[in-house]
Amino acid sequence: MTQLSSQAQISRLIHRFGFGPKPGQFAQLLAGGVASAQAAILNVPAVDSGLSQLITPTFAKIGSLVSKAAKFQDALQYYQLVFWWLDRMVLSENALPERMTWFWHGHWATAISKVNYANPMLIQNQILRQNALGNFNTMTQSMINDAALQYWLDGQQNLIAAPNENLSREFMELFTLGVGNYSQDDVTALAKSFTGYKLSLEAGTATLTPRIHDNSSVNILGSTGSFSPQDAVAVLTKEQFCQDFIAQRLWFRFYDSSNLQPDATLSDSFATRDIGAAVKALVYHSALSDPLHAQPKSPVEWLVSACRALNIQPSKLPTQSTVFSALARMGNTPFNPPNVGGWPPDQFWLGAAQAQERINLSQYLVSNGDLTPISSLPAKQRVAAAAMWLGVAGWGASTQQALASVASDPARLTWLALNAPEYVVNA
Amino acid sequence: MRCEEFSRRDFLKLTGAGAMTASVPLSLLEIAAAGAASPLPSKTPIVVLVTLYGGNDGLNTLVPYLDSTYYSSRPGISVDQSKVLALSDGLGFNPAMKNFQALWNANQLTIVRGVGYPKPNLSHFSSMAIWQTASPATSVSTGWIGRWLDTQPLNPMLAVSIGSTMPPAFAGAKQSGSVMPTTGFKLPSGSAQKQFKALGVQTAGASPAAQSAALSISNLYQIAGTVTSQLALGTPKPVNTALQNVGNTSLNSQLDSVATLISAGAPTRVWEVSIGGFDTHADEVTTQNALIGGVTDSVARFMSQIAGTKRANDVTVVVYTEFGRRVKANAALGTDHGTSNAVFIAGKSGVGGFVGDEPSLTQLDSTGNMLVTTDFRDVYGSILEDLLATPVGKIIPGWTTKLPLFSSK
Repeated sequence: MTQLSSQAQISRLIHRFGFGPKPGQFAQLLAGGVASAQAAILNVPAVDSGLSQLITPTFAKIGSLVSKAAKFQDALQYYQLVFWWLDRMVLSENALPERMTWFWHGHWATAISKVNYANPMLIQNQILRQNALGNFNTMTQSMINDAALQYWLDGQQNLIAAPNENLSREFMELFTLGVGNYSQDDVTALAKSFTGYKLSLEAGTATLTPRIHDNSSVNILGSTGSFSPQDAVAVLTKEQFCQDFIAQRLWFRFYDSSNLQPDATLSDSFATRDIGAAVKALVYHSALSDPLHAQPKSPVEWLVSACRALNIQPSKLPTQSTVFSALARMGNTPFNPPNVGGWPPDQFWLGAAQAQERINLSQYLVSNGDLTPISSLPAKQRVAAAAMWLGVAGWGASTQQALASVASDPARLTWLALNAPEYVVNA
Repeated sequence: MRCEEFSRRDFLKLTGAGAMTASVPLSLLEIAAAGAASPLPSKTPIVVLVTLYGGNDGLNTLVPYLDSTYYSSRPGISVDQSKVLALSDGLGFNPAMKNFQALWNANQLTIVRGVGYPKPNLSHFSSMAIWQTASPATSVSTGWIGRWLDTQPLNPMLAVSIGSTMPPAFAGAKQSGSVMPTTGFKLPSGSAQKQFKALGVQTAGASPAAQSAALSISNLYQIAGTVTSQLALGTPKPVNTALQNVGNTSLNSQLDSVATLISAGAPTRVWEVSIGGFDTHADEVTTQNALIGGVTDSVARFMSQIAGTKRANDVTVVVYTEFGRRVKANAALGTDHGTSNAVFIAGKSGVGGFVGDEPSLTQLDSTGNMLVTTDFRDVYGSILEDLLATPVGKIIPGWTTKLPLFSSK
């Protein structure tokens, strides 16, 4: 089997696990080789120096969203939340924790379009970040108590007298077990065990209230008892199906949404539900060098990688709305996935409509970015330097020619490079 | 979900988890290019679905103006008898709907009365999901148009929804409908044109994904070249020039795209456009009049645009909403969620006039809502069999009936 070059493997590592290189980073990783790059990707500092200036937003209480002023304030908080997270993705020195938070956001896909308030979305985001590389059991125990998720899937309407199965069904189908690995009886039983939450949505609290919790004995996946939500969740996460399903989701998002994983290494690595161990298995997976697993960047991944290279802090752009509305049109706004299934898979991002959006948005980014990694060099060196700058293993012949023809114009060269197939798709 | 704002967006965020096949975002240029290359055969029926999100108040749309219960139930929000645009059977249009009256008089409007689904559920979400999946009893991941698509040859342009997210009605198991964002396409020109075109050249040995990425750019330019002549024709103008500047702005812009592409021979059989805001729990009259008047004007304008094209006899517009509203007004001069409602069918294909019985205002269900006299699947049955030439039972398992909605051809 043909193997990818070490440049291409390192390009995969930095793009898929780190939102792309900052200026100089790709060259530095190449100098160390693949093994050293794998170790560097996984070497997450306790405190990320890139984030030291960034302040986590606190959101003033708005209350009912009836008046125009309240809706306006709500929209502003949403903007602030989105740009705070984009800033984190861009500014992190080691972006793996943010990249994993992004993965988990797509997994526990909760949308502000229904939750309405930024505050509960922020609280959920922090849960995902705290556990992004931690233990999946702990994450899941926190998520069942998450107000945003509860409200998103009608947890507040799940009553003893009138059970609502939305949360319990998705909890098994999309969050822990995968479709087909449970029965309708399990859904009904789990819904009973999930009753009893009182939500304070804007405050972002979900409180289990024993008086309204269904204590009747139920059977979930063969375990019988009167389960608290916590107990019930533990029944799910200890299933072998959970181990296999989460491994499969990681494979799907980090390597390939159309070809299945070649072996059981990912599932095996997840035996104790240690997410960090599974991510390590991804980074060291033999698929890293298999040319089969090229992967398009989602619009957020593409935007963040461009901002990291161009030294753009998204919240400091003159018109945030240019970025926000482009992401919305492309269907990839953070905190607003299209449905509980999360973002669509790779091929979705490669239509002509998406290409058009990328062309427009990248023109704006280039006009606000720092191009010195190539503009400081003689024109002759710029095409190769652009590949090194952007973390691309190599340009194809046609792209190479197009870039060379504009080498005297760093802005034009960058604009083209950000739209080149070699950049839009991680080889 | 905040009731007052139930919209297409809210609905789409909540539907259709992982099971459905992905929907491809298409550009206007791509569809026009396909139409230029192989136009839809003439006389092929084309269906345009207009989805009204939020539950339009059917009783203030098609007003039972001779029924005293209507007036006693709705003090403060009923439509004044003297202002109603009378049709027949004691029913008349809201005065904002004069352009529907014109279609009615020309026998180009069919009104199906009392349409709904069994065991009404007053939730926006569940109701709209039932309408779009055509599966009232069990939750399924495919939509009725999606299942029709599953019977057709693979072609992403057969069903196109205007917007950025696919409605669940379009989700199929084998293929789904496509979405078309309404943003305009503006390609780099001058010297950048040549350079961008170079990015669209295929590289030997590149991954399929990289090939798709290159193709997306070359498509943008090739398409732009192919269809210049079609697009030069521009958006068809309404034959009745008085309709040029009427209608809801958002709906007009969506329907302009549809009219342009139908006129360009697009291979699309089913289109979907939508508008929200019908959830009028408070101070209903001004809002609802503006919305339903806007819908009426936009549909009439669109039909007049189509009237000037070669597809004048082929296009059928179907206007539906997830439910009607309560007979009795609430204390906030609004109405709460209801059940049955009228479906409006515009076009020369329809039989014209009323189909189905008008539900009684006094025989109500336990929630104070009107009974369903026409099952919505019977409406779909006619659309499927008479316009899309597919037996209803293949799309809605076990369903065999349809309504006499369309003139036999």
